Amino acid sequence: MTAAKPTVHIVDDDASFLAAISRLLRASGFEVRTFSSAAEFLEQREDGAPGCVVADLQMPGMSGFDLQSALAQTSNPLPILFLTGHGDVPSTVRAMRGGAEDFLEKSVQKEKVVDAVRRCLERDGNERRSRTQVHELRARFDALSTRELEVLSHVVQGKLNKQIADDLSIHERTVKLHRTAITTKLGVSSVAELTRVTLQAGIFPPVK
Amino acid sequence: MVASSCFTLAAINLLVWIRNRTAWANLLFSLTAVSLAVFTFFELAMMRAGTPTEFGVVMRWAHIPLLAWLFSLTWFVRIYFGAGRLWLAWSVCILRTLSLVPNFLTGANLNYMRVTGVHRLPFLGELVSTPQGIPNPWMIIGQVSILLLIAFVADASVTVSRRGDRRKVFLGATIEFFLVLGLGQTMLLFWLNIQSPIIFSLPSLGMLAVMGYELSLDVLRASQLVRQLQASEAQLRESTSRMTLAAEATNFGIWVRYLDRNEIWANEVWRSLFGFSISERLNIDYVLQRVHPEDREVVRQTWAKAIDGEGKYESEYRVVRPDGQMRWLASRGSVEFDDCVPAVSRGVTFDITDRKKVELETDRLRQEIAHVDRVSMMGQLASALAHEINQPLGAILRNAEAAEIFLRDPSPDLVEIRAILADIRKDDQRAGHVIDHMRRMLKRNKLDAQALEVTELVSDVVAMVRADAVARQSKLEIDVPECLPRVCGDRVQLQQVLLNLILNGMDSLNGANRDKRLVRLSARLDEARTIEITVSDTGQGIPAEKLDQIFDPFFTTKTNGMGMGLPISRTIIEAHRGRLWAENRSGGGAVFRFTLPVADGRVSL
Repeated sequence: MTAAKPTVHIVDDDASFLAAISRLLRASGFEVRTFSSAAEFLEQREDGAPGCVVADLQMPGMSGFDLQSALAQTSNPLPILFLTGHGDVPSTVRAMRGGAEDFLEKSVQKEKVVDAVRRCLERDGNERRSRTQVHELRARFDALSTRELEVLSHVVQGKLNKQIADDLSIHERTVKLHRTAITTKLGVSSVAELTRVTLQAGIFPPVK
Repeated sequence: MVASSCFTLAAINLLVWIRNRTAWANLLFSLTAVSLAVFTFFELAMMRAGTPTEFGVVMRWAHIPLLAWLFSLTWFVRIYFGAGRLWLAWSVCILRTLSLVPNFLTGANLNYMRVTGVHRLPFLGELVSTPQGIPNPWMIIGQVSILLLIAFVADASVTVSRRGDRRKVFLGATIEFFLVLGLGQTMLLFWLNIQSPIIFSLPSLGMLAVMGYELSLDVLRASQLVRQLQASEAQLRESTSRMTLAAEATNFGIWVRYLDRNEIWANEVWRSLFGFSISERLNIDYVLQRVHPEDREVVRQTWAKAIDGEGKYESEYRVVRPDGQMRWLASRGSVEFDDCVPAVSRGVTFDITDRKKVELETDRLRQEIAHVDRVSMMGQLASALAHEINQPLGAILRNAEAAEIFLRDPSPDLVEIRAILADIRKDDQRAGHVIDHMRRMLKRNKLDAQALEVTELVSDVVAMVRADAVARQSKLEIDVPECLPRVCGDRVQLQQVLLNLILNGMDSLNGANRDKRLVRLSARLDEARTIEITVSDTGQGIPAEKLDQIFDPFFTTKTNGMGMGLPISRTIIEAHRGRLWAENRSGGGAVFRFTLPVADGRVSL
């Protein structure tokens, strides 16, 4: 993973406000990139780079809401903070339901904007970390053979070796060998830990 | 015999006159008969006179009843025929009266200078006296008067015959016949000294009989008329009761006003509409008292116009009954003229309260819609402006904040700070442009300038806010003199300004004591060419340091305010070449004043 500094991506069609807010955030210590439209941002963003999006709600062409839903479909969805010239209740509700970090008026106090950006970046960091963990776990699971995965699915259901041997029509000793291979490959030391990482990686569909 | 029949006829006709004092013809006929009866006594005395002297004296006095007879006959003809030249009638009377002078002053009497002898002649089985003597030349006056009478009656008869009244023509002819007969006899008797008794009364009686017959026919006809009248009265009663039935069924009040007596008759429905009892006597002033004070003058004028000649009237007005209940009534009616003099006014009145309520409600709704239109138009404009202006303002704020942070650095990046300041200036100009644009827009919507009545301008706006005033329990007081010259301006824009100032005033009353919640609108001629309109309230007033600020865009003291009302109002007034400013009232509350130029026949700004 790159250790690049998280970037605040500002999207606003009003060049003047775009310059002003980028100055403020830069002065407040953030790494900033500016985009004059949502399309430009989606095209030029570095996929996978950490950061967040600060976007105007009312923009010609692709609106803030359009940007929000487009972003949600990427593998690396950045948290989004909306700034608007003139807010109303229905837009606020819609933005928050869509998972926006916050919804602020453009003339709101500086501290509120800075705090909201900070929270956004924090959230991005957390989400990114958990995404990385899952990623790493998945890589470990990739090392397991089909048979080992089969055995694992039975183990996490709490079945005994004997039952597993019966179910798979193999010898009980073979089951033990597979289990040892699984714990070694996944680097876990107990059945409890094995169950936890399996669930975390989301390998199997929930048990019925 | 002649006398008694005369008296009978006289008595009958006298009775007719007593019963009906306008039957002058009957009275005159009666007088004719009486004078003739009296004359017959003199005739009798002459017939019995033994000496020439006695004869002369009796004859002299006999001219008195003769005069009376002539008078009453003349005027009978005049009145009964309704014709005949007046000057002829007067000539007859005057000449006959003059003839009394020689009657009493010359000779024995009017007829004889001297009665030389009395002959006794057998007449109708009796010996009667006939005179013989020297004729008095003055007698000609008397006879001329008779001739004039004949001419007068002939003239009258010709006139009636033109009218086609054959019965009167016949009467006239009869009178003529007997007059000529009488005149002929006396001429022969007096001028030629023919021996004959004086029996003037006989032809006169014939005349009288015909006259009496005619008059009695009239009496008969009158009684027939009475019967017909009774019948038609019965019909009238019937149709009156039918009309009453119809009027009651439809709840129509009916009234008849007798203009000469200042009396009013009204049916029960009408009385109940106005809240009068059945027996109360009514006159016009009393009725007007029940009319709502605001409508009284209009109603009075409507009636006056109808009486002055329009003849018909139609009006809708409110009445307040004694129990305090108010009803809307509609009246329709007409005035009947008697010889161009208004005599009677009749009309129907009915209750239109329900219809009126619906109408007023519709009116109110219409005004409310107009109000909402105006207010929302202003709101939309303000909202659009707010959006336009928030962008540069937000940018200025963010830039300033950034600059502050940069300046905390021990060695600040001056290039950056310079750029920030340039941007701030640019955004400030941009915000200014938005305001300018708005101003230009208001100006470019080229003022639809007209000469406007201040009273009209004010009353239109007052109609729009009246509902608000009631809802907010605040009183709206208007003091605009009628005689102000007209102002030059755009009706809609000036209404917006007034509306804005009045609504602001009402807003400022929130929290004020209920009996002190007053917004007052007044206007006066300030200088020769300026009208000053003032909107004042009894609210908290405006802090002195904010008196100018309130006209800045986005400055507001209201939670939901945009802060655009006053700046827009000021822009409008300045576009009208006037001024708008605010003051505080010494007794508390704010005053907004604006000036407008007087139209002076010019309608452009």
